[in-house]
Amino acid sequence: MKNPLLIPFEDLFQLSQEDLQRILNTALSRGGDFSDIFLEYTIYNLINMEEDIIKETAESISLGLGIRVISGEKTGYAYANDLSPEKIKKAALVAASIASSEAQRNAPFLRQAQLSHNFYPVLEPAHKESLERKISLVKNTYFSAKNFDPKIDKVKVSFQDQVQFITVVNSEGLSVSDARPLVKLVCLAISEKGGKREAGFSGGGGRVGLEYFSEELTPEEIARDAAQEALNLLEAKAPPAGEMPVVLAPGHSGVLVHEAVGHLLEADFNRKKTSIFWDKMGKEVASSQLTIYDDPTIPHSRGSYNIDDEGTAPKKTILISKGKMTGMLQDRLSAKLMKSQLTGHGRREDFTCIPLPRMSNTYIEKGDYDPEEIIKSVRRGFYAGKYQGGQVEDSGKFTFSVNSGYLIENGKLTAPVKQATLIGTNIDILKNIEMVGSDLAFGLPTGTCAKEGQSVPVSDGCPTLKIVRMTVGGQK
Amino acid sequence: MRGSEKPLKLKELAEKLVTFAKTNSADEVEIIVLDGYEFSVDVRLGEIENLVEADSRSLGLKVIKDKKTAYASSSDLSLATLQRLVKNAVERAMLANYDEYSGLPSLSASQVDISSLKLFDPQMAELSADRKIAMAIETEKIALSDKRITNSHGASFETREVKGVLANSNGFLQEYEQTYCGLSVGLQAGETDSRVEDGWFSAKRYFHQLERPEEVAKKAVERTVRQLNPRKIKSQNVPVVFEPMMTSWLLGFLFACVSGTSIYQKTSFLADKLGQRIGNEKVTVIDDGLMPGLLGTRPFDSEGVPSQKTLVIDKGILRNYLCNTYAARKLKLQSTGNADGAGVGPGNFYLIPGETSPEKIISSLDKGLILIRTLGHGLNPVTGDISRGAFGLWVEKGEIVYPVAEITISGNLGDILNKIEMVGNDLDFRVPVAGPTVLIQELTVAGE
Repeated sequence: MKNPLLIPFEDLFQLSQEDLQRILNTALSRGGDFSDIFLEYTIYNLINMEEDIIKETAESISLGLGIRVISGEKTGYAYANDLSPEKIKKAALVAASIASSEAQRNAPFLRQAQLSHNFYPVLEPAHKESLERKISLVKNTYFSAKNFDPKIDKVKVSFQDQVQFITVVNSEGLSVSDARPLVKLVCLAISEKGGKREAGFSGGGGRVGLEYFSEELTPEEIARDAAQEALNLLEAKAPPAGEMPVVLAPGHSGVLVHEAVGHLLEADFNRKKTSIFWDKMGKEVASSQLTIYDDPTIPHSRGSYNIDDEGTAPKKTILISKGKMTGMLQDRLSAKLMKSQLTGHGRREDFTCIPLPRMSNTYIEKGDYDPEEIIKSVRRGFYAGKYQGGQVEDSGKFTFSVNSGYLIENGKLTAPVKQATLIGTNIDILKNIEMVGSDLAFGLPTGTCAKEGQSVPVSDGCPTLKIVRMTVGGQK
Repeated sequence: MRGSEKPLKLKELAEKLVTFAKTNSADEVEIIVLDGYEFSVDVRLGEIENLVEADSRSLGLKVIKDKKTAYASSSDLSLATLQRLVKNAVERAMLANYDEYSGLPSLSASQVDISSLKLFDPQMAELSADRKIAMAIETEKIALSDKRITNSHGASFETREVKGVLANSNGFLQEYEQTYCGLSVGLQAGETDSRVEDGWFSAKRYFHQLERPEEVAKKAVERTVRQLNPRKIKSQNVPVVFEPMMTSWLLGFLFACVSGTSIYQKTSFLADKLGQRIGNEKVTVIDDGLMPGLLGTRPFDSEGVPSQKTLVIDKGILRNYLCNTYAARKLKLQSTGNADGAGVGPGNFYLIPGETSPEKIISSLDKGLILIRTLGHGLNPVTGDISRGAFGLWVEKGEIVYPVAEITISGNLGDILNKIEMVGNDLDFRVPVAGPTVLIQELTVAGE
């Protein structure tokens, strides 16, 4: 299944296969072990609506290339957005300077690879659809939220679509291209009651075409979700403070697996032994009910890709199997230095960035428990519903911020609560997962992950989970 | 390959596009062109990890037609692409709605003397790559020589030189150059299963002002090892001391809540509070884009409005919101020269220091927490609610007794501004949004 969005790179970048071959040879002129060129052309569109009007639209073009040379553990990198022969040559020489031997070697003949898979077949690619049509999606969302309830006071809606054309060639003879669509429609609703104000948020999208908004998730559903959260929060109280049992809602709680597990299984942190997991391969690091995957091949998912940003075809990777650490997310550099297989997780924000091992779509496999049964098992605790995000450091300390949730009293969800931060150390928390639900779902398809200043689209998922004890930051 | 077009000078390119947009029926147009050079080196365990060097250019534009606005930007600066983007933008503007508040600022009579702002260090371009690499290596080496440090995230040295041009159809045309350099190191202490981590940095516009490797390394070590063997504490309400970097974090949140955009959108709890008391008398906050040599300094904002000094909070009274032209018109105020792209950004935004030393503040505590780091998100400008993962030092009878971890702090910014009991004398513009040590009368700390 060929990707119909592909455009030959010669047309996009005005560079031939021979030109690229020559650039690789220049990059290797001081004897690097490996070199690659990442070419990118991205078209991005934005529509913003607030205060009942289409406030502005924007179009952005990003064109450039990045040249990397690896010599041992060292990486030299240079990029250029002026694709003239002199500038490219200069960039290649700058990247080459990291290596320092006389051993000039030439790159082998580049073979253009044809992919046999496409994880994002779209019917109505957003970048080819009219602005009028996208504006009507935005207006639909906006007014659905605004008219949802008289207490909804302000609404902001933003629609973003992009298509990223990339080509990767390297000194092993690889030449491969991809075209990645990405769409996001988000809605912020502000409610007001007696001078009290709250915000609710929702969104939809992924590597999809505009058909998504009639087939998968409609603007009305997105608007309703945001507005309802804003209304619920008006009635919400501050959460209790202290250690207690915590039940995580399915879907949105995927942020737990992203922060507590995913980041620390990125290979670079383990190669450098800064991650708490570096010496735990094969060992028990979590409850035996827990199996965790990272899968860049899920059709249409926001974190998916046909090739990673080093040109590697990605694999569904099992990170934790029944509580034991079984895998890591690899990019080329770490895989080479750790003598591991590539998993296809070398990603970068754009042509100005060095690739790093990154997550794609990370999730906890579903378990055996009925979600109702999980909530019923808690006498007094906290139910975490929707999130603002999370953060982790290599020592395993992580937090995630809950925007809205509920108290659990005698096995039932009772009072709505707002704004709580949960904190823990990953292995403690993973071992304290007592029940895994049968209801795997993915969170909002609008997530972005930041690492070393680079943002990439990701998604995460999980079923209902029960953690025996965790610190909930609330008010006393 | 592409034919090599002789590149236009930045000013010429900007002017040419302003004219092109006008002849293509734009009523108003604004062009920003940036031309930058960056160098960065990451070293780890004594060896170079990454070396990045690049020249790059980018252009951003805004067109307004019949009071309808469209934006565009590009890293492809070929004239054909830029002209196409201008034409597209004029067409797209027609599909936006009429907005009476849109439009460029009128040309200001006053002008800032750019050279007096000390934004550009001519020496930066002369620094050799070897010198930069050596500084990063030395910083890490000094840090690793302390036996308590067990691993390194590496050290980095970075320099940037950027030239920017702003032109608009009201006749504004100016350019200026700025430089930046930064040195940083990240460390770990303790064994694998009980690691603690932190780091330190220095960032300046002038190379000679940058802190030396030994200063950065020493501070990074001290900040890391002081967290070793943390304890958990019981959930309780206690006085909390914010170290300067934590005050800076709190002020970053305050900035978001006084930015004109969030005020007219009513996404800030400080909307409709101008002239009212929102904090106690110890709270005076200023935004000043004109302080020579600082990181938040610039002669004019991204719309060409001259930078200024704005009193934001005066002894607890909210005096001014920080606005770009659009937010100012919506709020019937004047722009404060804080336009930053399509939004609002700070100049040097700071809390006026007091007279007490940080040591004295700490020794005044019978029992309390010194907040040294936070982790996570948990800021809600609509309500002012704050909830974050935290690391700290526990204080009893005026002495630091042990580090604490795995706690969260929670409170509300509106409440905190009224509960600032002491303000330290240690203001330091390490970052553009800066504050001294402060003591907050009470916050909820959640632990066991």
